[in-house]
This record gives sequence, C-alpha cells and structure tokens, in this order.
Amino acid sequence: MKNPLRIFASFAVVLFFAASAFAQQPSRAQETRTTPVAIKGGKLLTITHGTIENGVVVIENGKITAVGPAASTQIPANARVLDATGMTVYPGLIDSESHLGLTEISAVQSTNDLVETSDEIMPHMHVADAFHAESDLIPTTRVNGITNAIVAPASQDTLPGQDSFIQLAGPSADEMLVVRDIAMPLNFSGAQRRKMDWQSGRGTYPTTRMGMAAQLRQAFLDALDYQQKVADSEKRKGEKGVQPVKRDLKLEALLPYLDGKKPVVLAASEPSDLETAVKLANEFHLKFILNHVTHSRPVLDYIARLKAPVIVGPIYDFPKDNERYDAVYSLPGELVKRGVKIAFASYDSHQVRNLPYAAGYAVAYGLPYDEAMKALTINAAEIWGLADKLGSLDAGKIANVVVANGDPLDVKTDVKHVFINGQEIPLWDRQMELRDQYSK
Amino acid sequence: MLNRVPTFLIAIVLLASAALAQSSPAPALPRPGSPARAARAGVVDLVIQNATLLTATHGRIANGSVVVRAGKIAAFGANVSAPAGAIVIDAGGKYVTPGLIDAHSHMALDDDVNEATSPIVPQMMMVDAFQFASKEIYRALAGGVTSAMLLHGSADMIGGQAVIMKTKYGLGRDQLLFPNAPRSIKFASGENPKRVFGQRQQLPSTRMGNFAVQRQALLDAQDYVRQWDEYEAKKQKGDKDAKMPKRDLKLDALVEVLKGKLYVQIHCYRADEFLTEMAMAKEFGYKLRAFHHALEAYKVADKIAANNVGVATWADWWGFKQEAWDATPWAAVILMRKGVRVAIKSDSEDQIRRLNVEAAKTMRYGGATEDEAMKMITLNPAWIIGVDDRVGSIDVGKDADLVIWNGYPLSSYGVPEKVFIDGELFFDRTLAGYGLTHFAGTPESLPSPPGSGDEPEAEVR
Repeated sequence: MKNPLRIFASFAVVLFFAASAFAQQPSRAQETRTTPVAIKGGKLLTITHGTIENGVVVIENGKITAVGPAASTQIPANARVLDATGMTVYPGLIDSESHLGLTEISAVQSTNDLVETSDEIMPHMHVADAFHAESDLIPTTRVNGITNAIVAPASQDTLPGQDSFIQLAGPSADEMLVVRDIAMPLNFSGAQRRKMDWQSGRGTYPTTRMGMAAQLRQAFLDALDYQQKVADSEKRKGEKGVQPVKRDLKLEALLPYLDGKKPVVLAASEPSDLETAVKLANEFHLKFILNHVTHSRPVLDYIARLKAPVIVGPIYDFPKDNERYDAVYSLPGELVKRGVKIAFASYDSHQVRNLPYAAGYAVAYGLPYDEAMKALTINAAEIWGLADKLGSLDAGKIANVVVANGDPLDVKTDVKHVFINGQEIPLWDRQMELRDQYSK
Repeated sequence: MLNRVPTFLIAIVLLASAALAQSSPAPALPRPGSPARAARAGVVDLVIQNATLLTATHGRIANGSVVVRAGKIAAFGANVSAPAGAIVIDAGGKYVTPGLIDAHSHMALDDDVNEATSPIVPQMMMVDAFQFASKEIYRALAGGVTSAMLLHGSADMIGGQAVIMKTKYGLGRDQLLFPNAPRSIKFASGENPKRVFGQRQQLPSTRMGNFAVQRQALLDAQDYVRQWDEYEAKKQKGDKDAKMPKRDLKLDALVEVLKGKLYVQIHCYRADEFLTEMAMAKEFGYKLRAFHHALEAYKVADKIAANNVGVATWADWWGFKQEAWDATPWAAVILMRKGVRVAIKSDSEDQIRRLNVEAAKTMRYGGATEDEAMKMITLNPAWIIGVDDRVGSIDVGKDADLVIWNGYPLSSYGVPEKVFIDGELFFDRTLAGYGLTHFAGTPESLPSPPGSGDEPEAEVR
C-alpha cells in the first residue's frame, strides 16, 4: 500500500477537530479531549494476543496506549475510568464491503449514488466523490460496534470505480475517508452483461461473458499503451515538437493497479467465473483479493492455492437448488480449514449493523469462533493494509474500541460504548429518537 | 440473558452428538418405511427426551420430554416418562421448540406473486401457482419453519387468496396444504399499488386513488350482494321471471370479505394508512386480521390494539423505501407492550431460514422475554393465520410440529437439527445429502476441482 501512512499522519492532525466535535457531552463537561480513558474490568478480546479476563484498555490522544490485566496495567491518574465489569471489550469491527454514504432510501433514486452504469469500464469513478458523511445510516451502523468499512460502488459494472476505506465518525467526509481509492473492484459474475434483444437484434456490448473479458482485456491493454506513451513523452520532454500526452482519467485510474501498487477486488461466485477472473488478473499481474466465491465449493482447494485473501459472502446467499441448504453458510469454515485468510462483509448499506451476526451464523455452521472475530477485525485490517493501525486491542493502534454486554457475535448483545479515534461516540440514532418519541 | 460462549456451545454439541450416538444403535427415527409409520398410525409413540423445552405457552422446561402420539403432542413436561415401546430420541443438551411459523411468505410461487394487471384481483388463488417442489420450501424447513402463509404480492389494492401450508417437503401438493385452515386474502396500500399503476398512467397513482379504488370495489360487492338478495327473494316468492345475476368470481370473493369469511391481511406501512384501513373495515363491516410489514404501526399502536388487529413485521428492516424510513427495531416490542399480537415474519426466502435469529433481536431491542420472542415466531403468527388452536406451541393435543435445535435458538448460533411435522421427521441435519427424509434426490455430484492437474500454479503478487 502506497500512502496509508501519510494519510494517517494527517489523520492524527485532524483528530484535534474530531475530538472537539464529540466532546460535547454535558456529563463529562469538565473533561477535555485529552483526558485519558481507562476501560476497566471487562473481558478483553484482544484478537492478537488472546482473551484477558478482568483487563484494562487505556486510551490516550486517540490511541490505545496500554492493554493488559487489571492487576498489572497502569491507569493514568487523571483518567476517566469506565467500569466494564461483566462487559466484553473488543476492537471496532470492520466491514470489508458496504455502500455506506452512497444511498439513503433505496427506492428514492435521488438519494442513490451507487454506480455509474453508462459504461462498464469506469475505474475513474471514485466513491469518495459521492460519499455522504452525514448519512443517517452511519450512526445506526456504528451503534452496533462497526467502526470502519470499505465503501464500494454497486456491482453492475465490471470496473465500477474505486473503493474508499472509512471511519464511521468524524467532523466531515475529509476525516472519515481514511484511505481514498484503496482498491478497485473487478466484478465478473455475469450480472455485468448488458441486454441483448434478439427480436430487434439490438444489444449493447458486452452481452456475454466473453464480451466482458475481452472488454476488460482491451481496457488494461489501452492503459498499458497509455502508460508507455506518457513515459515516452516524458523522456522526450523538451524536444522540439513533442507534446505532452493528453490526460485520460479512465486509463490513468487503472495504472496503480497494473503497477501492483493497489489491490483489485475480484468478485465472482461460480468456479468458471472465478477462474476466468483470476486468469485475467494474472495476465496483467494484478494483485488481488477474492470476493464472494459463493458457489465455488468444488474449487476450494484451488482457491487455497491462490494464497489470496477472500471476502466471503454474503453467507445468506442462496445455495443453488442442487446444493445442500447449508452449502453457503459453511463456506467461511471450509475456507479457513484450508488456510485461507477470510474477512466478512455486509455488502449492504442499511443493514451493515447486522454484520457481526453473519459471522456468528458462520460459527454455527463450522467456523471457529476466534477465526470469526479475526475475520471482522485483524484479517480485514491486514487485507486492507492497515494492520498497524486497526483490527486489535494493541498499544499504538487507533482507539476504535467497543464495549458490549456480551458476545459481539450474538444477536442479543447490546453495545454499550463505542470509541472511535479515542472519542466516545454518543450511542444515538434516528431510530432511538423515534422509539423514545412513541413509546411513552 | 444467556451469554453463550461458543467453545462451550461446541462442547455441548459434541457431547450431545456423542450422547446421541451412544444412546442406542441407530435410533429408529420416523422415516418412511420405518416404525414411524406405525407411530403415525398411533401404534408406536415417539418421545423426545432430556431437552430444554421452549414451549411458547408454558415457558421454559429444563430436562423436558415431549410425547408424540398419532401425530399430536400427547404429553410434555419434566416428569413425563417414555411410554413402553416408544421410539426414544435423546435430545440431551439440546432445545426443543414448536415448529416456527411464517405469517408472510412468497416462497414457492416463482414469479407468480403479483397479478398486477388490475388493482383488484381477489379471485386469484395462490394455490394455482404453488410450486410445492420448490427448494425454497426445503430451505425453510431446514431453518425450522413448519407452517407458512404464502400471500399474493402488494402490487394491487386487493390481491389474491393465500396458501396456508406445512413444509412437508417431498410430498405431493395437497399433502403440503394445511388441512382446514381458514382462508386469508391479501390487501395492500401505499407506495406499491400507486407506483405500479401510476407508472402506467392508470388509477391509482396516489394514496387517495388507492383508497378510492378499494372503496369502489367494496361498493360493487355490496351491490352484487343486493342483486343476489333480490333474486333470492323473488325466487322465494315463486317469481318465475326472476333473473339470476351473472356469477362474477371477483365479486364472489369480495362478498366473502364483506361476510367475514376471509381473513384480511393488509400490507401497510404508514401510520395514517392503518387508520384509514380500520375505518374502511368498520364502514363496510368486515374485520382485519393483521397488518403486515407495518413499520409505522408503533405510532398508532393503541388504536391497532383496540381493534384487535395483529401485526406481522420484520425485526429490523428499514430504509428501503420512503414509507420504510421511520422504521425502528424497537417497534415490535413497543407494539407488544401496548397489547398488539406481534409476529416476526420473513417476506423473504432468505430470512425465512432463520426466523429464530430475527426473533432474538426483539430481546435485544426492547427487552422481549424469551417467551415473548418465541411467541412472535410461533403462536402469534399462528393466530394471524388462524391456526393457533392447532399449532404454535407445545401443548397437549396440538400438531406435533417440533424442532430440535443443537444450541439456544434465540441467538446467532441455534441450528435446527431435526424437524418433525405432524410427528413425522422431515428434516435431519445429520443425514447425508440434503438431510431430507421424504425426498430421494441427492445434491449434484461435484465436478473435479480445476487446477488439480499439471496446470501452472497461479501467480499472485
């Protein structure tokens, strides 16, 4: 990953502003953004170094500064101590694909900025340009302990644009968009084919998978050609009659991926589509993460040999009629059994809040519990190149910390405190407001 | 509530399966051609033992047993002994609940959910489109659902008549139909009808249009009743010239609505529309059985409770359209506390597979008790469908529709292991293939994995 470090450096600077936005809770009026917080007495799911019963997490200046057993972990004298006895404390959960900030009310088209379908090759669409930081969906998501997410365009195009990695709180879009253009989806499921009307003989290219593949190949070849032209023109800069190459946003957008600087998210469900997409990616030396692999049970060993991480799901996708009812539920467990690094995604917007329950359901169908927790935290952080900042309770990491009254993956568990960037987020959303208004 | 530690859970499952494996060599379960046939005939009883029973009507019973005789629940409780000669299933460490019931589904109807060519189509019989062999039914069964109401869609103000079914996957169509269940009809309101017809430049394209169309249809039915009454009266008097009105299937069905012979199930979202629907029912003298979806019902909960209308809703769906914007996941419990019978339903071939998880959300949002959450996916939907005297709880005399779960069902982790309908085993997770007992097919054999030959190893950077 090229620039997350730099981005995080500027991120730390904006923390100051973020802090002032969230420090307006009257009960703690005398505290300032610099007051350390010690979450004490809870059961810590550290992710990277096991479970600590009766532990302490110290948060200072937006970072986790200490994690350990209550008996041996120093709490700063001026800290606000949050009693987490009987609670479970874990790192903020990460959704590895969502549409947060790109839609508000699904059926109201004016609120949707999900995907540009005028062409199939749209790598120059940046979701960061449409991300609606003030969306009502975001508070509703973070009150369930989800603190970070990939925002991806919808999947109607083979190359619909570039994903961003967001933090679910902050003063504005600038701070919440932690890493812009972090990755690029390459969708190859057949759903990207355009319509062919055989009666009129009219259709829009590509109407077939071979059309999709040919179009993708051409786009990558065009980008390589463009890169060469730009390089040649640079080399001959200053020579008489040499004009700079006119910038082509579409082709330019493909270059970081062709250079292997950023990952492509290869989305396919069927074994045949998966193989086509992988071959195409290899042909152009793309670095890739796999996505979905929903109906690829017959090729799980092949997937394991690819040594690529897999964003798996949604595990609630239907099995095919000739598959057993639990063929998709048990996919995460089967992948992990073969040594594949997995992460979970909601692939949703309104129901991102239910992400942990999907992981719980995968546990019910064979995924080891610790692996499920990792798939929502450290695995995702590693896949997105942010493992030094997120994904575990470790000193030095950004203080995205959740305190809940039980097992994070169980549907009955209530989240009690959420810290993002070390600031406690008010657990409040529009739905609670409506609840209070009408339950008197 | 119980705080389930998964390792503990896994241990329980292991212990339980070990217990089951050791209890007797291949316990005779009621499969076709097995002693279960005898059990069904009342000759041999079936006993599920050592389970935690979540009865829906009698709370939780630890170390409980359920005795099944001739397809019905004959006894249950902590101190029930196995009748001699009974088939015994040891469910130690497991949970037993009534079969789950979905009061709002469109499964097994393929694309035949909406006859959207007219806003009034009460003569549509969903049974005519019912694909009893659809694998959607199998997947619902594997999720612990034993009864469901398959409704017409919401494109029309007055839609067709529902299928009430049991998920006896593998049997013939008529064997899946719930015997002697009351009939239900689907009404709708709000965005869907006005969008469907409005985009064709037809009436209705507004909510006032919606209700005008509905009122006109009911008036037409009243007039049709009058014509028949007049004819019958003339005939009684011996009037030989009395002309029999022409039978009209559509009006026949609406007359059944007016006469209370059809349960009215209304798709309705917005607070004001519940009030209009209740007022219209009062005006025309019919009763409403339940509001479905009903995401703003919590805003007028008192009025819905006063009219004894049920609500079939989702646990936490929201935001998919304008009339779903004011949804709150606390709604189910707010409604319940104000006296409304609430069912959690799926309206989804996906969520019908885990209604238990959806119901558990009401424990988190609003603090429903275990019993209350169970009722929302058993007894309350049974009431909405009108079969609560026969299914929906573990009670003596009720149909033996039972689910054995390998873990606590009101959690992310409970998985149905065995599903019995009318005392007969229809799904068993431990069986190979599909896990079905009445379906001979097996999952398609898997193709050999690609890349297993001498194909070069894929390059990854």
